[in-house]
Amino acid sequence: MVLTIESVSKAFPGVQALDGVSLDLKPGEIHALMGENGAGKSTLIKIITGLHQPDSGRVLLNGEPVHFASPRDAIGAGISAVHQERNLIPRFSVGENILLERPPTRGGMIDYDTINRDARKWLDMLDRGIDTRAEVRTLSVAQMQIVEIAKALSLEAKILLMDEPTASITEHETAALFTLLKRLRENGVAIIFVSHKLEEVFAIADRVTVLRDGKNAAVGEPMTTMTRDKLVSLMIGRKERIAVLGERNADMADVVLEARDLSTSDGHRNIDLALHRGEILGLYGLVGAGRSELARAILGGAEITSGELRLHDKPVRIRDMHEALSKYRLGYISEDRKAEGLILMHSVRENIAITIWRKLAGFLGLISGARESRAVEPFVEKLEIRTPSLAQTVGNLSGGNQQKVSIAKWLAANAEILIVDEPTVGIDIKTKTDIHELLGEIARDGVSIILISSDMPEMVAVADRILVMHGFRIVGEVANDHQYETASKAIMACIHAVEDDEPTSAG
Amino acid sequence: MPFLRRLLIVEWSGLAVAIVLGSVLLAVLTPNFMTEYNIYVMLRSFCVGLLVGFAQMVTLGVGQMNISVGAIGGLVAISFGGMMEALGVPLVLAVPLAIAIGALCGLINGVLTARTGINGFIITLATASAFTGINLGITEAIPFYNMPAALVAFGDERFFAFPYLLIAPIIVTALLMLFFARTVPGRQLLAVGGNPHAADLSGISRERTIVLAHVLSGGLAAIAAVLAVAQLGSAQPSIGADWLLLSFAAPIIGGAALTGGYVSVVGTTLAVILIALIENGMVLANVDPYWVQFLLGALILAAVWLNRWRAVKTGTD
Repeated sequence: MVLTIESVSKAFPGVQALDGVSLDLKPGEIHALMGENGAGKSTLIKIITGLHQPDSGRVLLNGEPVHFASPRDAIGAGISAVHQERNLIPRFSVGENILLERPPTRGGMIDYDTINRDARKWLDMLDRGIDTRAEVRTLSVAQMQIVEIAKALSLEAKILLMDEPTASITEHETAALFTLLKRLRENGVAIIFVSHKLEEVFAIADRVTVLRDGKNAAVGEPMTTMTRDKLVSLMIGRKERIAVLGERNADMADVVLEARDLSTSDGHRNIDLALHRGEILGLYGLVGAGRSELARAILGGAEITSGELRLHDKPVRIRDMHEALSKYRLGYISEDRKAEGLILMHSVRENIAITIWRKLAGFLGLISGARESRAVEPFVEKLEIRTPSLAQTVGNLSGGNQQKVSIAKWLAANAEILIVDEPTVGIDIKTKTDIHELLGEIARDGVSIILISSDMPEMVAVADRILVMHGFRIVGEVANDHQYETASKAIMACIHAVEDDEPTSAG
Repeated sequence: MPFLRRLLIVEWSGLAVAIVLGSVLLAVLTPNFMTEYNIYVMLRSFCVGLLVGFAQMVTLGVGQMNISVGAIGGLVAISFGGMMEALGVPLVLAVPLAIAIGALCGLINGVLTARTGINGFIITLATASAFTGINLGITEAIPFYNMPAALVAFGDERFFAFPYLLIAPIIVTALLMLFFARTVPGRQLLAVGGNPHAADLSGISRERTIVLAHVLSGGLAAIAAVLAVAQLGSAQPSIGADWLLLSFAAPIIGGAALTGGYVSVVGTTLAVILIALIENGMVLANVDPYWVQFLLGALILAAVWLNRWRAVKTGTD
């Protein structure tokens, strides 16, 4: 074994990201690492590359326990990685970015001729069209990804970690990358390959390790014994039963939001959807399917290039979030509640009242704290937000209660339509159920909800109808019978049907 | 790429045009502008300003700020003057010692910033007050007047319109260009400023790089202080008191990215030339020097707006 992970655990405030995870990597193999969103793949990658340190468990390199305090240590030990986040210096040239770790020098000065020659060598294996002298900020997203990959390859490491390297590149480039990875494998390089695309994993991987909710669902299973269905069920698992919500009475005659043949500058094509009063409409898809992007496009974050968006049966164009709420009573709960949804250093009261400050402002435009509290209190009660006081800093609440605060602020603003993006990521099962019940209750009160989620059990438990997205299109609709077995099969069938139509990107 | 667009991409193109236009205008309007003596005065006033701009430029490059540039200048100036007048340290020894004191001040700034993780703005705001306090505590605001003749001559004499003082900034400019374009620490400094996370992952030590930037900043402020003493012929405790605005104005007008990761040595140099030109023009036109302050402020706003506009126009934003 060149690399062994021995029951590694890692917790972040409020989440057990990894719980006793193991993995062993042999020289000359491509080892797929799979799992749903939030299963812990990226955390594991970050532990191996020294960005995070495990709380317990061991990392062994060639049989020796190692401790990587920083990425420097991991690089020094011969581990190279393509991370999910963009890791290039925008103002530097392509060549300089590729050789950033160890710029060649001559007489103490950086030798740009050598940089460009070396970088060219690595780039040529993937894409001849990128100029090594171009500044990275002038490249397209796909080109940047190619540069990232070339950078990781150029280290000529014995261990190569690739966290979704193909997420934003073309099929042609993917094929070139796979040819290259196979050649590296023949030369004894050990590769961990993270991808959501099943066909890629089947095309290239020798073995697979599957993570689910921070635990191993499979450790180093040979791909030859795997089938697509088996892999999917390992990833999704038969999770804890999520209680199905009680009956609702959506008014299917009243369409509150409708998209007709909508295409956007983000790449959505011919989106049709209709949301009815009091309905919870599920929008299921894997990462990169274009679900959150669709929400943003509806809210004015991307241009609608053709088709129509209708609210209450009138064609509209929403300019921005402010207009969405003030004019159309449309609210959006971001999947990234820490970065986008909440102001963590502000109090519960302020976070909920933020949408209604204008209404609360009284004499001379002043907002009285007492009035603010009175306006906020009913929602804290109704949503059972567990906080010692309204003055508590939101950052100190648990993830579930934070999520409730971000829902409360839209309820306070009297939103009629809510787009809820991955509301229960990183939230424990009990609070998860609370939030599901809460969504059901709001819907019964007549609020219409679009629920974006890649959590299959959640989808099946909560949604009235499920639209399946893939590749920025809606590829199917599933009338939810709330039976996990049948509904999840129906959903995956929609995705597989279109995947099979696509030419395989494996080289 | 069309010519205009390519020209727009070079951050300092507008500055070069402004300098040429301004010089022509001044040469036509005021007969005294093109005289040998006036050019000498202008070049001499440019020396200290350029180093002050550079001192801030290196911290901007790593994504930091150094509010204590002027305070370091003042402390170095009186230490430099004091060790020569009161302690009799010879000039050749006093200059490197003075620069070392500036670098030490920078080291304090850098280590405090990198270790505590507190914003460099606040750290240097505090150390600025501390350095100034030491300065005034030592001198009780009384200057050192007896400077070595060689130093005073260096600050005063000229070869036609060329002040000898200008030799120092020319050398520093060349070294800085080389540093940022061709040396590993120079590139690492900009890499950390450009994307700290990526630099981390590439095995570049963020802490060490931030410390390096502050040490350089302190050293450059010290050189500025030594030149200021040479130019004035005495070590005034008030040296550096008015540097702060200029220190930001020069690199920003010169096209530096406020978020870090990009600085232009040429742009900063041109910006200081432009500022010197404006100051000179206003003196020649008998404008109240206080209005220079106003103009400098307006110029910063215009430069920041222009950079923003250019970024949008050329699609490099």
